[in-house]
Amino acid sequence: MIAIPRLVLGKIPSTKSADGGWWMETMVLLLALGLTAGPMVQDAAASKQRPAGPQAHPIALTGGTVHTVSGDVIEGATVLFESGVITGIGTDLALPENTQVIDVTGKHVYPGLIAAPTTLGLTEIGSVRATHDNVEIGDITPSVRAVTAVNPDSEYFPVGRANGILTALTMPSGGLIAGLSGLIALDGWTTEDMTLDATVGLHVRWPSYRVFDFPGADSREKQIEARQESLTKLRDAFRQARAYMIAKEAERGGGPSHPSDLGWESMIPVLKKELPVFVHASEEKQIHAAIDWALAEDLRIIMVGGADVWRVADRLKEHEIPVIIGAVHYVPARRWEPYDTPFTNALKLYEAGLDFCIGERRVWLEGGGGSNVRNLPYHAATAAAYGLPKEEALKSVTLYPARILGVEDRLGSLETGKDATLIVTDGDPLEIMTQVEQAFIQGRPVDISSKHTDLYDKYQTRLEQVKEK
Amino acid sequence: MLKKYWIIVPAVLLAGAVNLVAEAQQTAPQAGLRENPSRVHALENARIYVRPDLVIDKGVVVIRDGLIVAAGASADIPPDARRWDYSGMTIYPGLIEMFTQAGLSEAGEDETAGSAYWNPSVRPERSAADAYRVSEAEIARLRQSGFAAAMVVADRGVFAGSSAAVNLGSGTPNENLLKRGVFQHVRMKRNRNRTYPASMMGVVALMRQTILDAQWYRNAHAAYATNPRQDRPEDNDALAALDGVIARGQAVLMSVDDDHAFLRAVRLAEEFGLRFLVRGSGHEYRMLEAVREAGAPIILPLDFPRSEDLSVSTPEDAVDVTLEELRHWELAPGNPGQLHRAGIPIALSSTRLGKSAGFHDRVREAIEHGLDYEAALAALTTTPASMLGLSRHLGTLEPGKLANMTITDGPLFAENVGVQDVWVAGNRHVISPRPFVDPRGTWAVVVQEDSLSLSIDGTLGALRGTIDQDGATIKADRMELDDARIAFSVEDEALGEAGVWRFSGSIQGDRVAGRVVRPNGESLSWSAARTAAHEVETSNMPVPAEITEPPTLYPPGAFGRNNPPAQPEYVIVRNATVWTLDDRGKLENADVLIRDGKIAEVGTGLEAPESAVEIDGTGKHVTPGIIDAHSHTAILEGINEGTQAVTAEVGIGDVIDSYDIAMYRELAGGLTAANILHGSANPIGGKNQVIKLRWGMGPEALKFTGARPGIKFALGENVKRSNWRVLSDRYPQTRMGVEQIIRDRFRAAQEYQQAWDRYNALEDKSGVVPPRRDLELETLHEILTGERLVHCHSYRQDEILMLLRVAEDFGFTISTFQHVLEGYKVAPELAAHGAGASAFSDWWAFKVEAYDAIPYNGALMHDAGVLVTFNSDSDELARRLNTEAAKAVKYGGVDEVEALKFVTLNAAKQLAIDPWVGSLEAGKDADFVIWNGHPLSTYTKCEQTWIDGRKYFHVDEDRLMRIEVEKERTRLIQKLLKSPETDDEASDA
Repeated sequence: MIAIPRLVLGKIPSTKSADGGWWMETMVLLLALGLTAGPMVQDAAASKQRPAGPQAHPIALTGGTVHTVSGDVIEGATVLFESGVITGIGTDLALPENTQVIDVTGKHVYPGLIAAPTTLGLTEIGSVRATHDNVEIGDITPSVRAVTAVNPDSEYFPVGRANGILTALTMPSGGLIAGLSGLIALDGWTTEDMTLDATVGLHVRWPSYRVFDFPGADSREKQIEARQESLTKLRDAFRQARAYMIAKEAERGGGPSHPSDLGWESMIPVLKKELPVFVHASEEKQIHAAIDWALAEDLRIIMVGGADVWRVADRLKEHEIPVIIGAVHYVPARRWEPYDTPFTNALKLYEAGLDFCIGERRVWLEGGGGSNVRNLPYHAATAAAYGLPKEEALKSVTLYPARILGVEDRLGSLETGKDATLIVTDGDPLEIMTQVEQAFIQGRPVDISSKHTDLYDKYQTRLEQVKEK
Repeated sequence: MLKKYWIIVPAVLLAGAVNLVAEAQQTAPQAGLRENPSRVHALENARIYVRPDLVIDKGVVVIRDGLIVAAGASADIPPDARRWDYSGMTIYPGLIEMFTQAGLSEAGEDETAGSAYWNPSVRPERSAADAYRVSEAEIARLRQSGFAAAMVVADRGVFAGSSAAVNLGSGTPNENLLKRGVFQHVRMKRNRNRTYPASMMGVVALMRQTILDAQWYRNAHAAYATNPRQDRPEDNDALAALDGVIARGQAVLMSVDDDHAFLRAVRLAEEFGLRFLVRGSGHEYRMLEAVREAGAPIILPLDFPRSEDLSVSTPEDAVDVTLEELRHWELAPGNPGQLHRAGIPIALSSTRLGKSAGFHDRVREAIEHGLDYEAALAALTTTPASMLGLSRHLGTLEPGKLANMTITDGPLFAENVGVQDVWVAGNRHVISPRPFVDPRGTWAVVVQEDSLSLSIDGTLGALRGTIDQDGATIKADRMELDDARIAFSVEDEALGEAGVWRFSGSIQGDRVAGRVVRPNGESLSWSAARTAAHEVETSNMPVPAEITEPPTLYPPGAFGRNNPPAQPEYVIVRNATVWTLDDRGKLENADVLIRDGKIAEVGTGLEAPESAVEIDGTGKHVTPGIIDAHSHTAILEGINEGTQAVTAEVGIGDVIDSYDIAMYRELAGGLTAANILHGSANPIGGKNQVIKLRWGMGPEALKFTGARPGIKFALGENVKRSNWRVLSDRYPQTRMGVEQIIRDRFRAAQEYQQAWDRYNALEDKSGVVPPRRDLELETLHEILTGERLVHCHSYRQDEILMLLRVAEDFGFTISTFQHVLEGYKVAPELAAHGAGASAFSDWWAFKVEAYDAIPYNGALMHDAGVLVTFNSDSDELARRLNTEAAKAVKYGGVDEVEALKFVTLNAAKQLAIDPWVGSLEAGKDADFVIWNGHPLSTYTKCEQTWIDGRKYFHVDEDRLMRIEVEKERTRLIQKLLKSPETDDEASDA
């Protein structure tokens, strides 16, 4: 795409140009630093679609093939939900009196897809800085919370849910300690309406161990020095936070008073292992370093990354560290690696018995990241094309992200007691040609039109007018 | 084997030398007293390499007035000669460095005064001879490596100027300059400061235009000289300076840094009929055949990769080292030998070695890796002399040549052998100062009545002495040599008294006389006589190892091939679902028969000869090869020449990277052809190149023969540079200006052609200044005539309409709009004009102009009758364009067969290559893909990709290749870990 990064950077030597991880991150950085300062562009207007009110009466989807994900695929079954929660799944359900029955015979019912991680709601137009709220200034910004800045009127939401993405983790994405992510439903009048969990975890971006060698790059020594400095800063931040926690505890116990520090304070739940740390890392060395660090600091971590995760699968398994595969659609990190290395990453984690899920991360357009979150299921499908069992591929964008994000009790599968966040399709949602026909978030029927279908309608009209002439 | 001859060079040859005046001629006035040291020398008792192939074990070289008079086993020593004893030494013809910037470092930066070329990278008028200063520090460094003469070459810009041959003597440039204007140095280097040429294709275009300009300049001034009553052609120093190259046979020295640059240099030289030689990259062994064909001599840097540059000591680091780097580490030292054996004249150069002090080690490495010793010598003496056209003066020690000599204490390049002296034009330069006396050896010492045996060894800087008395060994401490005075002390009871005995004395040849102070303070005399001379440790001449020619891999890294895939006479795929994409659309249980790389027939129950390669297609789908209508794969050094608003003169065809692994990865996704486009940084960009992904072939063989030429245009935010952080002041800054600049250039192209038409119509052209050829306008004129297709990057509907109308005003059709995100808003207009649309399937929101992009775009345009494709614009997405086509089904309900055409037949039509590819029809090229399922399904995998009836990708072969890659990496990493260099590094650390 998009000639911008190429325009500025030309091409970094080809043996190194291809990576979904560090290379793209560099792009993002340059894009963010150098290119995206367009000063005076109009902000995006509100999306046209209207959120639905709370589920007022029971709804039964009848006659469809129900893909529970956690259990069986049930043909001709009914899914009943009331007040936003699934109250029954079966072929022989007694429906309450005021149930709205929707016949979905011949259709398929799936849980809504869950995208993690994204910057949904935080950015709108890649090249327009005014629409970016995902990167706060500074290396250590632990207290900033993504849900604070989610724009419910972002056009990304209707576009995403039109393809079955109904829940997303949205995160801050700058510096070393980026801040706190939140889980949102892709529908709601306000940020608060949308928020399912305001603080899911703290995001840490592990410094890269790569040493670049292209014209204009800093010297090897300088690059290593910069990385070490970042590592020290990162490690020190957690030590400082712990010291702050102790000081505050002492204060509460009658000790001397200690002035507040919002940053360190926001990290206390992390230090107490109430919240996980999402460590963004793609290189083998980064991942090892992050594991060593997490063990030493006694933290609960979730690895988010791509390229080399499979190389460290055994060790991740040993410490029961879950992995979010950032994306499947990227090119091998190294020239000599097999072409399908990114495609088989998930398979290798699956074979190692790891907890994993799959994301859709257009990192290099972090400023517009999430605009194509609708392609999430196809990342999972590619993993399936290259060996991951199909059921696992489906779970990797439904049940598994729910589990890793700590909402398995509410989302990720069709089970009684879980949120009625689900989609009705005419086929396998991992197939591009499949259409999502209906969507419900906590029982509310969601408008699956979008700016895109609106413009489609509008210009179909023009075509018709021209043809009539 | 080195042949040894005993020869006597007859002194009669002396007769050739003429000496009219006793004193060397100088033009500068004499300051102070004249100095007239002896200019006649006889170097005796040395081993002498008269030529690389002619060695005299012990002989004499006679020099008079800076010239060799005689070199042979014996010669008459002139009575007036100063005699030099070079016992134990070897005299070689002075070495010649063929690529150095020594003496040029103080040369001023580019000046813009005078009638310079418009582009500061073009400075052919620069003359190394004019800029040369005798910089003692820089010259001394070269002399340390044994160089007595050198070619100094300016190394800035594209046309860097003329080189000069100099002697590396002291004094003035006047005395040392041997030849000016040797070669015009042309560098394949782009600018790094965002000025033209910022891309390699810009470099090539600039080279072409400059040479054309020089040709024009010559003709224009010739015409003007005969008839001054016409528009006077400009004066231009640079173009005048190129007259040597274009008309007087001055050779061009092409500096290249990689394999592709070499091929490009050869093509350019051939295009303009230039004589040329090459400063190579060290990678030539990878394309020996091409180098041999080029026939150009090569100046070779010896900067072989060092093991410490490849960090493989931890497995985590090792993954980042490529197979290509590992192989090059292993094979690079064999490069000089391979080139020599291939019959290519080579000169070895110390350029690019951080410290030239290590130069001999590298030459030795080259010898140990197969370069014949004699050839190594020739590559530093006779071959450079002949490259310089100075064979009459340099390169051998034959009479009449300049007295340039390199003198060593053993075989040149051998371990522990150093350069002792370098003689330049009869003047001696000491490299390793030798002591006034050498005390080493065995001495019989007499102190009063006692006799001792003293042996002295070690180096002259650190002498070691031991005394042997009655079988006991006693150490002589504190041994010091100060000119002829030697001193040491001995502490041992063996001498009969406790305490330290201090010896000192003077050495006179093989005798010492002095005094010794006993521990008790008594002073005695002592003397000594040398009984045996110091035994010189003889170093062996480096010997080539057994030569094994490495198997060639093309490209030279992972997944490279030994040979291009074979083309079976017949291939038949049986019983597959075949997407013909002709009127038949899709056939079930059908066969595809291929003959000689072409599709012979598609149908059911086809017959094939027994010899046919049979492929069982049961359960498989066969489609035409996927075609990417917008790609930046396989481009070297810069996708954009974005430095100017209009760069129609540059072309991707000059910078195709046949090594790009992206091609192989794309083959694995069913891609067989791609439209490789210039970027979108300027309204009128560069020419595109349609390629087939013939992985394993060279850049020229990738080009799609018959494809119509094209060019990239661009509109909107990128060309306005509106997303730049730094405000741009380049015209245009608005979409209004974009229209104007395009219109203006087309007008210019029209008027350019009119000027040529008028000129060509002249019956008598003599005395008429001809129009100047302008590659930019020529390219634009090809658009106006319809020969060249326009592929225009565009987003918004207004700009799309604008370009349609501009094209209509100038009477041509826009071939495709690329991206064309708002194409759906003007689909009827696109259809009416006949423009194709090549879109992203679903990208949006990355820029303001992409905010109205919708995935229904393709379907809407298709419905309106526009020829639509989906492209990748990405090395990643190009691997799965089949499923991109599925998005046309999803968003807007395009029929499956029509949707698949979005990435096959329609792309072929847009690029005007549909006579050969795009569908599976008899007569077309056998470019096809075998899928394990429905080609539009996300669960489907590409199993085989064929181009021209050759199997370029097969999942099973891929599996074998990756095993090979792992094996080869493992072997090389082990070798690297065991290499002595790594050990050295470890012990240093």
